[in-house]
Amino acid sequence: MAITESPRFVRADGPDKVTGSGRYTADMNLTGQLVAKFRYADVASARITRLDVSAAKAMPGVFAVITDEDVPDVHYGSPVPDRTLFARDAVRYEGEVVAAVAAVDAATAQSAVDAIVVEYEALPIVADLEASMAEGSPLVHERWETYDVGDGTEQRPNVASFSSIEKGDVQAGLDQADHVVTSRYEADGTHAIPIEPRAVIAQWEGDKVTIWTSSQVPFDARNGVCETLQLSANRVRVIVPHLGGGFGGKCGFHFEAHVAALARATRRPVKLVFSRREEFLAPDRRRESMIIDITTGVRNDGTITARTGWVAVENGAYTADSAFFPQLSAMHVAGPYAIANVFIESSLVYTNHQPSGSVRAPTAPQACWASESHNDEVARAIGMDPVEFRRRNLVDEGIEGPSGQVYGDIGVRRCLEAAVEAAGYGDDLPADEAIGVAVGWWPSFPGPSGAYIKLDGDGSGQIITGAQECGTGSVMTLRQLAADELGMDAEDFQLVYQDTSAAPYDTGATGSQTLLNNGRAVVESAKEIAEQLRELAADQLEAAAADIVLAGGNAHVAGSPDKSVSIPELAGIAAGGELLIGKGSGTPPEYPSASATCVGDQGMAGWAGPQFSCHAIRIRLDRETGVVRVLDVFAAHDSGTIINPVGARGQVEGGIMMGIGQALTEGTRYGDDGRQQNPALLEYKLQTAADVPTIHTTFIEVPDPNAGPRGAKGVAEAPNVPTAAAIANAITKLIGRPVRQLPMTAERVWTTSNTGSEQGGES
Amino acid sequence: MSFLIAESLDDALAAIAAGARPIAGGTDLVVGARHGKEALPDELVAIDRIDQLAEIGPGPGGIRIGALVTHATLMTDPLVVAEFTALADAAALVGSPSTRHVGTLGGNVMNASPAMDTGAPLMVLGAVADLQSVGGSRSVPLDELWTGPGTTSAQADELLIGVTLSSAPQRSGSAYVRLEYRRAMEIAVVGAAAAVTLGDDGTIAAAEVALSAVAPTVLLVEGVGDALVGRDPESAASAAAGLAGEQASPISDLRASDSYRRHCVGVMAKRAVVAAARRAAGEDIAVPVNRSIGIGAA
Ligand SMILES: Cc1cc2nc3c(=O)[nH]c(=O)nc-3n(C[C@H](O)[C@H](O)[C@H](O)COP(=O)(O)OP(=O)(O)OC[C@H]3O[C@@H](n4cnc5c(N)ncnc54)[C@H](O)[C@@H]3O)c2cc1C
Repeated sequence: MAITESPRFVRADGPDKVTGSGRYTADMNLTGQLVAKFRYADVASARITRLDVSAAKAMPGVFAVITDEDVPDVHYGSPVPDRTLFARDAVRYEGEVVAAVAAVDAATAQSAVDAIVVEYEALPIVADLEASMAEGSPLVHERWETYDVGDGTEQRPNVASFSSIEKGDVQAGLDQADHVVTSRYEADGTHAIPIEPRAVIAQWEGDKVTIWTSSQVPFDARNGVCETLQLSANRVRVIVPHLGGGFGGKCGFHFEAHVAALARATRRPVKLVFSRREEFLAPDRRRESMIIDITTGVRNDGTITARTGWVAVENGAYTADSAFFPQLSAMHVAGPYAIANVFIESSLVYTNHQPSGSVRAPTAPQACWASESHNDEVARAIGMDPVEFRRRNLVDEGIEGPSGQVYGDIGVRRCLEAAVEAAGYGDDLPADEAIGVAVGWWPSFPGPSGAYIKLDGDGSGQIITGAQECGTGSVMTLRQLAADELGMDAEDFQLVYQDTSAAPYDTGATGSQTLLNNGRAVVESAKEIAEQLRELAADQLEAAAADIVLAGGNAHVAGSPDKSVSIPELAGIAAGGELLIGKGSGTPPEYPSASATCVGDQGMAGWAGPQFSCHAIRIRLDRETGVVRVLDVFAAHDSGTIINPVGARGQVEGGIMMGIGQALTEGTRYGDDGRQQNPALLEYKLQTAADVPTIHTTFIEVPDPNAGPRGAKGVAEAPNVPTAAAIANAITKLIGRPVRQLPMTAERVWTTSNTGSEQGGES
Repeated sequence: MSFLIAESLDDALAAIAAGARPIAGGTDLVVGARHGKEALPDELVAIDRIDQLAEIGPGPGGIRIGALVTHATLMTDPLVVAEFTALADAAALVGSPSTRHVGTLGGNVMNASPAMDTGAPLMVLGAVADLQSVGGSRSVPLDELWTGPGTTSAQADELLIGVTLSSAPQRSGSAYVRLEYRRAMEIAVVGAAAAVTLGDDGTIAAAEVALSAVAPTVLLVEGVGDALVGRDPESAASAAAGLAGEQASPISDLRASDSYRRHCVGVMAKRAVVAAARRAAGEDIAVPVNRSIGIGAA
């Protein structure tokens, strides 16, 4: 086991952010700028019977009021084209944008928003996942049949996408079992809550628009503007100033086109800044609610003989990037276990709630919470220690997982052992304390990505990258990769980033992919420059280029370190001739195959660079009130090679805190009117600094040859996966039965422990 | 809109007599306005520079804690911690360090939220509110001051200049405990304060219990003296829990259901009595009690 303790971490944006000199989108102002505000639906489900903006338009200081009629007729959304920029005919969730105003100041804009006349005819509210799928349910989208995504699955009303994992013969497996355990779990939706509410500024110059936006995925944002406003990619430039966090909430394409359309209509720069309340209600990115039914057949020796699952994942009113959620959730219901017979089906279900989207490890924390709680129930049914039960079933090198993928060298078993050993699992604890254990997994996401590097005449470098920094430090780490390749220091490089017109494409701060893919691109770029430097040095030192070593800021001949020339000197020579420019993209790692049959395969059954984790969490329960306090988290993670230990540790700690919030205190509540009841930070309870437990992190470094630079896998999302599950298992140990709703609020814990109400159980 | 910074108490009294609303730390008034609870008043008088209202010391009829004393001071002031420990417990739980350094006792009392944290401690400690206007001054017991959620019996031209408490008797102690789901930036789901005096034999000689967030105003539990006197602290605590649960009239909202609140307020009352009795017996339980026993203990 490797425990990384090196403090090496170079963070170029740190001083800016800490001293306040860094500029975020909301800090920027342009000459002549107008203020944008939106009129939202404010009802969950209704037909628009009248929309009259004339009074708002006529108000002094109002420069534009635009609606669906003022933008191109485009249904967008990939792969399910179910959306328009502005509501057309109907509204399907309370935060849907009906109209947008640009005015001289915020107060005027708000008055104009209030002066817009919208009349509705109420439509039924679809809120319950099971009811939504039932025959005869009211439809969220009347024209659902036109949304065929062409994946061959049979379309069903109110189901945006469907997938299954089918392997072996589950009935035969269940027949072989000594016990069959069935459970139901239900998770409420949650929010990403970046500290910076989003902001967008758009300015046109001729037929080109520049958009400054707080996006995690500037190229997606650009492509969304191109699609909806029908512009070519080279006429839309998206720039992201410093980003105040995202956690997935700022993935996708959001309000850039609305603001660009206002700026075009008014011929002025236009700025939109969200309030916290808007940040809760409007974006199409929040963590999906879920219902999860699981049945497992198990033999008395602990062998899982079969697992079946039925999962309903809440899509909300529109399909953001959620189409692949069914298969991803199914993988987490299966878990990293060698199960021969599997049948799990999962549906993405429309409701009249805010749309769901990729919030940090989408579907995984909820599905892992359900399956790992269920695994503890299964272990209990056969009287086996839950850790031992996992030892008997975990995947490993050469073993086939639930989707039929056969794994290479992986650290999942070492993660389990490291976490339980560090936690002192099995030692005596006070009566109100317990340790819960859960294992999680998460894929890495190979994809295209690009970067350039240039060394100027003084030998200083610039990395021009398409990658987006969302606070994780992954873009910052790119400097280290370039420096190592060129024998230079990370401090010798500046980053030019978050500008879609300056740099080649990258997927953005999503899918834990930055270091994995853009790291590869930067290394490729640096290699081109290294080649050039070796040629130049070979001339200077009268040696063969192949014998030149780049180290310590110099180029020297292998074996004779004093026969050297400095890199700045070489750069000076190049400045007068062929310039030092490197470009890189490289071939992404391959997606491994998976032998399971998957109806509606969404590419999530075979995982490249699979990451594994185990959290062993010690909690204390206040039995009289149900309040749970997390005392210690022992986290062991296989994210491959750890290139930046300080950054990786930060990701683990942050992911765990998000997981604790999801486990205990967060959760969106909806009223019967289909509207959020707690869209504010007083009633939507994040964890605070005062709640942070002691977090003990161990990295199990197993380099993966089919992953990122030096065998690194992703690390940003994985830490969020098993936290709630481990807490759940600790709670169950203390109260004797699982809490079947997430979050496991104090009241739910107290109610479960006192009323003994339990669904499901052993048959 | 007008905004006046009062240099003296007379300035402030004159301004509010002319219709201005006092603002101390602004953590209720300004934050509430931003959240659309109530628009900022057109005329404001800032009272935060009137130093004489920020003092703690002997006054007419007992110890006066000035209206401008902040929660940060309340939770550390040696006299408050020694004699009015429940008040220090409560102040230490308010919001975050920044809320505690800006928010004042007077603002908390006059904001009159049933979920306010200093209310139940003041109630069990028998505090009276000292009100002053250009026309004169008067003192009002707290259960007569609070008339409903957000309303008081003070006149619009009356300023709260402080609260007055009697010195704590021998062998007495007090404590405030609240149910919280996280350890900072929380609002009381329910809370309970107890003040207890022990007799020579270690049984309860006198006791009061008050509850937060279970009624339209902070609620002084009736019949506590009769039910608890003569009992040992453990059984007294159970009796207090029973009375608290019976007399509470909690609502259901996002934070908790009424039945859970009713149950938990009993638990809080029990813990408050136990902690107060231990303090009365001379034990040093650090402020706030919430970090020492039960919920969220370290
Ligand atoms: C983030 C946050 C967390 C909080 N957490 C808690 C908590 O845990 N517990 C809790 O109890 N409260 C909490 N509060 C509420 C608030 O901080 C307290 O009630 C605080 O004591 C109010 O004091 P203030 O000086 O800021 O009042 P202000 O906002 O200045 O005034 C509040 C009201 O009292 C009036 N007023 C103020 N002083 C006087 C006076 N001397 N005479 C007459 N009227 C006066 C004002 O006109 C106004 O109506 C929290 C607030 C915030 C923003």
